[in-house]
Amino acid sequence: MSVMESFKDVVDMLAELKDTSELMMDLAYSSILLNSKDLAQEVERLEEYVDDLHTKFELLVLTRCISPAESKDYLGLIRLGVITEKIADAAMQIAGVVLRGLEPHPVLKLAIREAGETVVHAQVSVKSPLVGKTLREAQVHEETGMWVLCIKRGDKWVRPKSDAVIEAGDHLIASGYAEGAEDLRRLTDAEKKSKKK
Amino acid sequence: MARIEKIQYKPISVRDLLVEMKDLSELMIDLAYSAALFNSRPLAEEVIEMERRVDNLAYQLDMSAMVAARDAKDAESLVAVSVVAGAADKISDAAGDIAGIVLREIGVHPVVRQAFEQVEEHLTRVEIQKGSVWANKTLRDLELAPKMGVDIIAIHRDKDFIINPAKDELILEGDFVIARGAPIGVEEFERLAGRTARATRS
Repeated sequence: MSVMESFKDVVDMLAELKDTSELMMDLAYSSILLNSKDLAQEVERLEEYVDDLHTKFELLVLTRCISPAESKDYLGLIRLGVITEKIADAAMQIAGVVLRGLEPHPVLKLAIREAGETVVHAQVSVKSPLVGKTLREAQVHEETGMWVLCIKRGDKWVRPKSDAVIEAGDHLIASGYAEGAEDLRRLTDAEKKSKKK
Repeated sequence: MARIEKIQYKPISVRDLLVEMKDLSELMIDLAYSAALFNSRPLAEEVIEMERRVDNLAYQLDMSAMVAARDAKDAESLVAVSVVAGAADKISDAAGDIAGIVLREIGVHPVVRQAFEQVEEHLTRVEIQKGSVWANKTLRDLELAPKMGVDIIAIHRDKDFIINPAKDELILEGDFVIARGAPIGVEEFERLAGRTARATRS
């Protein structure tokens, strides 16, 4: 569709805003579970990124010559952008708990773990079938139903692209239904050996 | 337009309240986006209903947290819970705003559908045709989550919605099933479910 061609940048930005805002929620909850300032700072960084991107998105939409007939559709588009920004703010609010050094009540972690969708953290063992595979090849989501959100390698947090290669010793942060957590650990541990609880 | 209910303290644990708020708020976002993509007023109304529920839960949670705090140390540890619950409430408000786009007939620009083809998690709505292999099976029988990484977030049956259906829920002919998952899983899901009514081919 040629009309759509001219909208490519708007489409890309909206998709990026939506994905980033949802990633931030998962990372923010993870930062509480793992009591990780690094992760919370990553959320903070992403919040600034979303703010910038959202501004660019709005400016881009506003540069369109909008006819009165189209105005409602465009309003919907702008509002959806605002919503992703709100979600990013909510994620920042959660990460803020960690950044402020509050020691959360134990029920907080329990509740996050107990919720239908949770975040888990698993280290890739040397013998894991994942070692040396790219994220695309590893098909973690297809195998376990868990989404890999972030890889911690040494002190660095890497936001995974699909061609990122998984190394032994990597920590995978993943979100999804609690049932998938067990499957993920089976993949990251080699052959179920000495399962750490 | 929102009816505001009277609130009273109930002895519900902070933990149960927070679990419910977190689950509801995340589910609501996907339901609200679905309502926008599939232009479904009734689904948008469901989201507004859920938003009210989350608002009430937020009050309950704050009251339970206040009752639980005995000293300054408790207050410090419980404020974190309250802040996180507040964030879940914000998420649910954001979902309510999406529903508002549908209910006020503001309209969703065609580029939104395009963008939703590109995002990591896809949403789909499928009608269960007469004679479908899925009819009269439970969600557990279908094993969608373990096999395809797809989960059903709502079933639209006649005028009612079954939100976040349990595993023993039966799928019936004529149901509209709304699901989310990775693109490959969602495609597989649509293929297996038969005729599709995808977001892109509106």
